[in-house]
Amino acid sequence: MSIRKILAYAAIGISSAIMFIPFLTALFNSLKTVGQFNKYPPELFPDPIKWSNYSEVWELANFSTYTLNSLTVSVLSILGAILSSSMVAYAFARLQFPFRDTLFMIVLGTMMIPGVVTIIPQFIIFKQLGMLDTLMPLWVLEWLGQPFGIFLMRQAFLGIPREYEEAAKIDGCNPFQIYWRVALPMCKPSLATLAIFTFMAKWNEILAPVIYITTREKYTLPVGILSLKGQWTGGNDQYLVAGALISLIPILIVFLIAEKYFVEGARSSGLK
Amino acid sequence: MNQNTQLTGEWKTDERPVPKPRKRKRLDSEGRWGILLISPYLIHLIVFVAFTSIASLYISFTDYDMLNPPEWTGLANYSKMIDDPLFWKALKNTLYFTILLVPIKTALALVLAVALNQKLKGLKLYRIAHFIPVISSWTVIAYVADSIFNPRFGWANSLLVSLGLEPKNWLADEQLVIPVLVAVAIWKGVGYMMVLFLAGLQNVPGDLYEAAEIDGAGPLQKFWRITVPLISGTTFLVLILSTISSFQSFEQIYVMTAGAVDGVAGGPNNASLVLMLHLYREGFTFFHMGYASAIAWVLFLILFVFTFMQMRLQKRWVHYD
Repeated sequence: MSIRKILAYAAIGISSAIMFIPFLTALFNSLKTVGQFNKYPPELFPDPIKWSNYSEVWELANFSTYTLNSLTVSVLSILGAILSSSMVAYAFARLQFPFRDTLFMIVLGTMMIPGVVTIIPQFIIFKQLGMLDTLMPLWVLEWLGQPFGIFLMRQAFLGIPREYEEAAKIDGCNPFQIYWRVALPMCKPSLATLAIFTFMAKWNEILAPVIYITTREKYTLPVGILSLKGQWTGGNDQYLVAGALISLIPILIVFLIAEKYFVEGARSSGLK
Repeated sequence: MNQNTQLTGEWKTDERPVPKPRKRKRLDSEGRWGILLISPYLIHLIVFVAFTSIASLYISFTDYDMLNPPEWTGLANYSKMIDDPLFWKALKNTLYFTILLVPIKTALALVLAVALNQKLKGLKLYRIAHFIPVISSWTVIAYVADSIFNPRFGWANSLLVSLGLEPKNWLADEQLVIPVLVAVAIWKGVGYMMVLFLAGLQNVPGDLYEAAEIDGAGPLQKFWRITVPLISGTTFLVLILSTISSFQSFEQIYVMTAGAVDGVAGGPNNASLVLMLHLYREGFTFFHMGYASAIAWVLFLILFVFTFMQMRLQKRWVHYD
């Protein structure tokens, strides 16, 4: 093996360890008893291993409600992103209409523009619509098409051969039918990427729930777990860590199953 | 079509010959379908981008608490900002955070991507290890980082003590809070950036390296003379995107500094107060919507000028071929 390869292995090996070890120490902490958690100096391994921290925090902290809220927001966002972004993207990819290219430049432009100026007026709009303290502001905009999804799906539609769509057109399908029955089923990998990226964004989102949700029962997981920190004082650290790690499990499973789509999504997001 | 040309901002285009402008005044059927299919995004654009931007500019010239109608105050919010010590502190902290974070993260990501590009065994495993922090929410990251940086039970202090050094207060220390936040932000974000660089590297033709080797170039020379210029398009993009996002950092600081000392995010003593957090406090804690909008516009303008300047400067160091 060349020196170059040994160096490369060393760099990646050390860096992988640095990435992983904090998760391991957090996992160990989540399995400690209160008594062991508060020992000084700290001990690395939990002894005895208290698995019940996980079931206890689930019961104590209303976790089923937070999980249900997170799932609602994620599922509705994914559906919205898949349906609306792909439909808009299809029109940009295949149909001729006035100002099409200008509008697409605007789509690209809005990806580069910082979202900060729209936060306050959006809050006011959602207030006027009576949607404050509901889950709606957390997912409803996904149904109106997002620049990243439009960009990703447009690339996908441009990559499929035209012949199938031409054939459908001759058979008398209208553009929506062609998009829905012919083009969309051919873009499943990009749809998967979009779905997974939307899931990751929504499952982990903190800013929107912090702004829009005030009732504890409507919190999503990341915000719900945070709120426990203020609610529980001292002696509950092992529960908080366990709770945080519970919220990682669904996205970790999806990630391990569909790793390539995560990487694909990351790349596409860099293309913007 | 390879990744690199996409990265440089060229995208796939519709291959059909562009039909000559039609002089018909009415939309044909295809045009009507086109408008219909993009209509969700048109609503998004008109209501949630155009209207909100104009509204926020208007609100920034008013006094507005969301209970009473906005009251025009001209430039009062902007002159208030000039006299607001917390605004200046937040701006300074934001700059410090960004200047520390972006270059280190970019350099590390590039080095890791180059290492990972050496056709190593177990590539998938390494990529997974570097991506787990990426897919974690900031809440998860906060508790995981706590197992290292908690002053009481964290391993960072155990390490310091075992080396005979003084334990630190980390996030509760005014001097250390931003460096610790930056370290954690690098740890969370470097894998994502590494994947972007890896995509760029895979488009560098291998024969260039072979030619350089024949000419007697060493590994460092190859890195500086071939790799760095050829992926400068990716680097440019990564630098702009990560500057924009770290300038708008909110979630990390909100989550990691809440309760570190006094239960108020941005602590200790506002040492980690960044612009987005200042905006959030003014807008959503005190309902000073006018002032918060003014902060939003200043933040926006800073980023706009930065991006614009980078676009102009890119010709000097970004190589597209």
